[in-house]
Amino acid sequence: MKFTPEICFEGGRVRPLVAEDRDALFQLFQTPELPGQHPVQKPEQLERMIELSVQMAATQRGMMWALEVGCEDNWQLQGMVSAYEWQPSLLRTMLRVDGSPELLIEHRAAALEVCLNFMAEKYHLHNFGYQWIEGQPPEIVTMLEGLGFEQAARLRDAWRLGDRRFCDLLQYHRVQRQPAETTEENG
Amino acid sequence: MNWNMETDHLHVRLPVTDTDGDALFELLKDPDVSAHVPKAPMFASVQGLDELRRATMQFQARQGVTWLIERQQGDGVLLARVRLSQINWMTLSAQVQWELSPTLTDAELDEAMFAVHRFCFGELSIHRLDMRIRPGVDTHTAHLKRLGYEYEGCLPAQLEFEDEWVDQEIYSLLSN
Repeated sequence: MKFTPEICFEGGRVRPLVAEDRDALFQLFQTPELPGQHPVQKPEQLERMIELSVQMAATQRGMMWALEVGCEDNWQLQGMVSAYEWQPSLLRTMLRVDGSPELLIEHRAAALEVCLNFMAEKYHLHNFGYQWIEGQPPEIVTMLEGLGFEQAARLRDAWRLGDRRFCDLLQYHRVQRQPAETTEENG
Repeated sequence: MNWNMETDHLHVRLPVTDTDGDALFELLKDPDVSAHVPKAPMFASVQGLDELRRATMQFQARQGVTWLIERQQGDGVLLARVRLSQINWMTLSAQVQWELSPTLTDAELDEAMFAVHRFCFGELSIHRLDMRIRPGVDTHTAHLKRLGYEYEGCLPAQLEFEDEWVDQEIYSLLSN
């Protein structure tokens, strides 16, 4: 049973992770974009992540998509979209995009938007958070603001860079209004 | 590691599941005591026992700690419950929450929290503690500021309580 859908957007698509993505993901995580994050050492580590992506979606704890750019017969895996800390009963989740250096900001934004919309429609989530870590490219903040996210808090030293080294992160939220319940019109 | 602490005037100790249920119920049946979380008051003593069982499981999994505060010269009345949750050993952070009896004085709260902070930053090597409370609870805000916590912002729509979505202000204290 598939819980993670494939969704197309202008110039690319997101789709469920599959076992064959292992080597492409290994390549992606050789240049991790999160400050303090080290390159993945062994491709086998990503096999476990791919397995977990299915389990997490099935139990509504998280969802992971491969982010591909290109067109039919020529897809390039350039990132991943993740929903984590998913709280189904509180109708909220955190989102994150991990992108390769080649990933354009418009593709990053479009992928995030389609995943967010899917979770809003399918699971009625209305509160989406995104954490920007000090040191990440500032255009991600511009992208978030363009998508309707607003900064809610600056969490001091909430991201760990090393043994006793930390940096701040900015937490953004986009809270959507609940769609009004549809009522049947009589006659 | 000794998780129980003695201060000049207080016991700051782990709960005893079989014996603390009624005292915890007495503390948490007052709606004002957990209104800042927000959380509904308890209505039956069995809820106190249930909370203690959950606390034991979280403690055994090293996911959380519950401390009960009482006076050394007291009669077993609980002055506060302080909980540590969402312990993240990767980021060395945790969330702290408290429920305070109206009879607890500011000086007693400071004394108890000083011990809790020293334990978290020392024994547990945690770097960051944060507390999340609903906006407008001025007494708790004053306590936090007096204890050195800094306001970081307000996270929207974090909980649903009494048919309303509740924002939570976030305050943090760092180890240095």
